[in-house]
Amino acid sequence: MTVPASVASLNALTSAAVAAGVTVTSSASWPESDSDGEVPALAGFIDSAFSPLVAEVVARTLRGRDPSDWASGNRDAGDRVTAVVVVTALGDVTSATRVAAVVDAGRRVPPLQFFQSVPNSVVGHLAARWHLTGPVACVTGTVAGLDMAAQLIEDADADEALVVRVDLKVTDGDRDRAAAVLVTGPADRERPGAAGT
Amino acid sequence: MNDGPALAAATVPVRRGTGTVAVTGAAVLSAYGRGTEALLSGVLSGRPAFATVDRFDVAGRRVGVAATMPGSPDLLSELARVVHEACDEAGLSSSDRAGSPLFVAVHCHPEQARAAEADQRRLGPEAFAAAVADRSGLTRQGIRCYISACVAASTAVADAAALIARGRADRVVVAGGYLVDPDQFAIFDAGRVLADDGQVRPFSAGRRGLLLGDGVGALVIESAESARARRAVPLVRLAGWGRTGDAYHPCQPHPQGYGLARAVGAALQRAGIRAEDLGYLNAHGSGTGQSDPAETNALRLCLGDAVAMVPVSSTKSLHGQALEASGVLELIVTILAARKGILPINAGYLGVDDACRLNLVLGEPLAATPEYAMSLNAAFGGANTALVIGLP
Repeated sequence: MTVPASVASLNALTSAAVAAGVTVTSSASWPESDSDGEVPALAGFIDSAFSPLVAEVVARTLRGRDPSDWASGNRDAGDRVTAVVVVTALGDVTSATRVAAVVDAGRRVPPLQFFQSVPNSVVGHLAARWHLTGPVACVTGTVAGLDMAAQLIEDADADEALVVRVDLKVTDGDRDRAAAVLVTGPADRERPGAAGT
Repeated sequence: MNDGPALAAATVPVRRGTGTVAVTGAAVLSAYGRGTEALLSGVLSGRPAFATVDRFDVAGRRVGVAATMPGSPDLLSELARVVHEACDEAGLSSSDRAGSPLFVAVHCHPEQARAAEADQRRLGPEAFAAAVADRSGLTRQGIRCYISACVAASTAVADAAALIARGRADRVVVAGGYLVDPDQFAIFDAGRVLADDGQVRPFSAGRRGLLLGDGVGALVIESAESARARRAVPLVRLAGWGRTGDAYHPCQPHPQGYGLARAVGAALQRAGIRAEDLGYLNAHGSGTGQSDPAETNALRLCLGDAVAMVPVSSTKSLHGQALEASGVLELIVTILAARKGILPINAGYLGVDDACRLNLVLGEPLAATPEYAMSLNAAFGGANTALVIGLP
């Protein structure tokens, strides 16, 4: 089945990475096979597949890294700084729609909706789990996301960037989709030795 | 939690391109009204703009207060208006505008959540940003839409500055907009973070939370060469910028402020200045129990002894929390105040909290002529930004 470039696809992310001049060191997507039915739940996040999808593709992407770079449970993997850029065309439309319905009905919003009201929240969860201390950003376009990642690496705001594209299904004919790439700059882009360079 | 790497990273050097980045136009809407004059006179009055919300029904909410313009302004129209005004101030011709990419910071397309399923795909935030570009005569080429919560607009400003400093763009127009709405109000009310005493009291004993506020703003950011070619006089230089993550929690800041401290350090480094060169700091200062001590710790860590000298206020105590638009609203306040030579107060202050000891501007606005000033923002996800302006 062909996936349009406007939704989460590894091909679109990889093409944008090449165009931005960064190197893909690891990647993953959802679904990857027929066994990817329902995305695993993520504690603390309710009602919507948005955050669980981001968590699942990030876990798959980081598990694919060289174990010498990222020993399981080792949060001291050098002083590597990893940026996280979430790309989503529509955002968490499931949560937004549910909140609107509750508000229109004059009811109270479930408190957990506060914690997942922006796409940053799941990034905070993942950053704590994987020790990702670089910049956190959420944008709506794949090209913009990879261009941002390249800029952050070039200017030494990060050594590498995890760019995650997630698109929830909107109509019954759709599927929830997500893909992620871990990118780094060309080998000559080492951290500067002095400020202002 | 292992704090070692976070501390070590506080000293990691960053880079930037060599180009000088200028702000040549700024336009704004806030609860004080439309225009920079209304905003400046409002914040310098020291009178917070909070009142009972009459834009929508708040009867079922725990708190019913926000800082809003009268009526129900339309976000698309107001964004187009501020972009137009900022471009006018910068002296941009129609062809200049047609060649200027637009970075927009918003929460979402205002119609998306209540649209029929079949329409939701065409009502994404990027479509909304494109509509702003179309109405403003700006190109859709290179358009970006930022939805990163309370650092959306400040991240857009930092990214624009980074591109321009590297010579990758001559000019970017950055716009952000949030108008207090029933959905976000209900969400924040459910999160029990709204101040139930109707005031925002950053860094103060007895602070009880944040309050939302309208904010729509636009900035024309360009290379010094681009400005000079039109003989445009810069309002300020965008001297430094930093963006970092806490790696701590989905929605709470790191209590020691390590991430925010690194953002401040990166911004100072790019500006090529020391902490003591800062003449004003417009803090994130949300007025919540956890965020203000974390920010205080960050400032103590990265400013060192200068923390006792740098005047600090959080203008959220006056105009409220404008979510995705905070970065442009608060940067514009910082620009206006620094250029005027009068620093706004940190309103709502009741008394000292030992966990939040800073050199706060209290009581009366402070006459000062800062050579450099900083605006800070932090958001869910542990996202932090710091922006440094330099006065001409």
